[in-house]
Amino acid sequence: MASPCELLLEGKGEAALRRGAAAAIAEVRRIESKFSRYLPHSVVSRINAAAGGQALDVDAETASLLDFAASLWESSEGLFDATSGVLRRAWDFGARRLPQPGQIESLLPLVGWRQVEWNGTRIRLPQPGMQLDFGGFGKEYAADRAAGVLLEHGVAHALVNLGGDIHVLGPHGAPGLAGQPWQVAIERPRPGVSGPLATLAIERGGVATSGDYERFFELDGKRYCHILDPRTGWPVCEWQSISVVAANTTAAGALSTIAMLKGAQAVDWLTAQGASWLAVRADGELLRHPPLAGGQ
Amino acid sequence: MAATERIGGVFAATLLLPGLAAVSTVHAEEPPDQAEIALKYGYYRDWQPGLDRVKVQSPQLYLLTPFAGQWSLEAATVSDSVSGATPRMHTTRSGATPAMSDHRSATDVKVTRYFHRGSITLGGGYSGENDYVSHSQNVEGRWSTEDNNRTWIAGYGHSGDVIDNTGSGGSVENQHRQTRELMVGVTQAATANDVVQAFFTRSMGRGYFSDPYKDFDQRPDSRRASITLLRWNHHLEKYDATVRSSWRYYQDSFGIRSHTLAAEWVQPVGVWTITPGLRYYMQSAASFYYDPVTDAQGVPSSLLTRRYASNLEGYYSPDQRLSAFGAVTASIKVAYAFSEASSVDLKVEQYRQSSGLRFGGGSPYLDPFRASFVQFGVSHKF
Repeated sequence: MASPCELLLEGKGEAALRRGAAAAIAEVRRIESKFSRYLPHSVVSRINAAAGGQALDVDAETASLLDFAASLWESSEGLFDATSGVLRRAWDFGARRLPQPGQIESLLPLVGWRQVEWNGTRIRLPQPGMQLDFGGFGKEYAADRAAGVLLEHGVAHALVNLGGDIHVLGPHGAPGLAGQPWQVAIERPRPGVSGPLATLAIERGGVATSGDYERFFELDGKRYCHILDPRTGWPVCEWQSISVVAANTTAAGALSTIAMLKGAQAVDWLTAQGASWLAVRADGELLRHPPLAGGQ
Repeated sequence: MAATERIGGVFAATLLLPGLAAVSTVHAEEPPDQAEIALKYGYYRDWQPGLDRVKVQSPQLYLLTPFAGQWSLEAATVSDSVSGATPRMHTTRSGATPAMSDHRSATDVKVTRYFHRGSITLGGGYSGENDYVSHSQNVEGRWSTEDNNRTWIAGYGHSGDVIDNTGSGGSVENQHRQTRELMVGVTQAATANDVVQAFFTRSMGRGYFSDPYKDFDQRPDSRRASITLLRWNHHLEKYDATVRSSWRYYQDSFGIRSHTLAAEWVQPVGVWTITPGLRYYMQSAASFYYDPVTDAQGVPSSLLTRRYASNLEGYYSPDQRLSAFGAVTASIKVAYAFSEASSVDLKVEQYRQSSGLRFGGGSPYLDPFRASFVQFGVSHKF
């Protein structure tokens, strides 16, 4: 998963908890190996390798995720685009330099879910060089699936954390804490001040954060972050970070990712989607909805 | 575009992914996780110019408790002490108004079974006073969609009443009334800040509908009513307040058509919640309601009215409640929370009813009617 992951389980019967944990970890590994674009034999890598060539038949789980990508593209009016990853070729955040003139323009024709030939069972990326990835919801889906495996193993008090994408499966179960919500700390998007930005009390559900601080560089006083608008190929940096609390982690992840791309419309859109959120604007101001949720 | 307008569209889409519905926290109907006990004490009085009418003192007890995981039990009991005088005809004071005092006790019990996406409630009630006994039974089902944005509600109720005032010197003996009621409704979360509800109720009653204490009162032995209720609750983020508004339209086979418009503003201020409210009501008269008769000077005359009423045939009633009138209720409720579990509240309501408050005018020669109501409550969860 290329990020620190943790699994916190509380309850009675160590052997059963260990079995549940092992099964949940196996499920996360299964999803990673099936859908990671970095692993050459993953379904996603095979789809990308076939770009410009033959259509590929996919299994039911992959089909569900592709349908989900399509519905995110629609609900975000094209801002969330599972084919936008190719733009990373133009943005080298390590080298701290702007794309070469014409570089973005040459990549933009390869971006666009609209071009993808997807009929519910067969997928084809029509142009060589097009790339698909499940960033923004893949890791989150793994957190939800891991929680589902724990639930099937009778675990009722657990927290799954895959690199900051969190699924809380029921309140604490440890003696003295039983029934209490988990305290989920939200990281500060900028260094300097110690302590978390906020601590949210979560009894059940998903939490995910998108931030402009994961990959970025500053040049001539301007910040360039890795949140790229698939229509222009340029970064959208109106928010330092947006955290979303939703009924599952996949929804929280998709909502926070899309909200980062929404710019000034982010908060209205999130609220209309029925989400609870916590956002830090580019100027550092903290906004939240509902106003008193969680507490500092 | 359609998808962006859909509320919670992203969340709804996640539920199509394999296994996610089982681990998504939205459970439409959940049994309460705490028991609650509440005590309320209410004091009501109404009056007309020069005449104090009815005073009612009503202590109430309410209990809600979850049991056996997926069940809850709710019970409420109220004991009213009524004293005062009721006008004999219309509202004009014509001779002696009989003094009365009565005691009413009523108990309701409900049992609810919760399922993943719905619940079923069975209820029963008893209400009794000197001259009136009522039993009721009802069943209600609720079902919510997977994304929890919409809840469907359907209910059926039956009540059987017995009216007998021979014990207090009246002449109405062992009269019965049966009412069946069918209700369907839907609650829809329209946006994150708006909830709308629509309910339709059809009620069919048969039996004795007259007022045993009124002279010259003869009403049909069936009453069918249709009630449409629309509600809209809107949360105002800017003020952290909620506005609840509603419109209710009622029409029945007596010929009464009524509109009720209500709005209240729920304003939390720290541990306080202040809720001012305003309600407007207007109705047309029943087809068999008759106005007071006036003398040559245009002043309503009790004697002439009685003479007129004694010659009426078919259905007739001088009951002010069946006349055309308008009414305004202003209320304020102040609640204080000691903790998440304990709170006290005080509610004060002022009611004013008169012909002149009805748009287009109401029934003539009726005295305005005023009432006030004060209720104090304590509630504790454990």
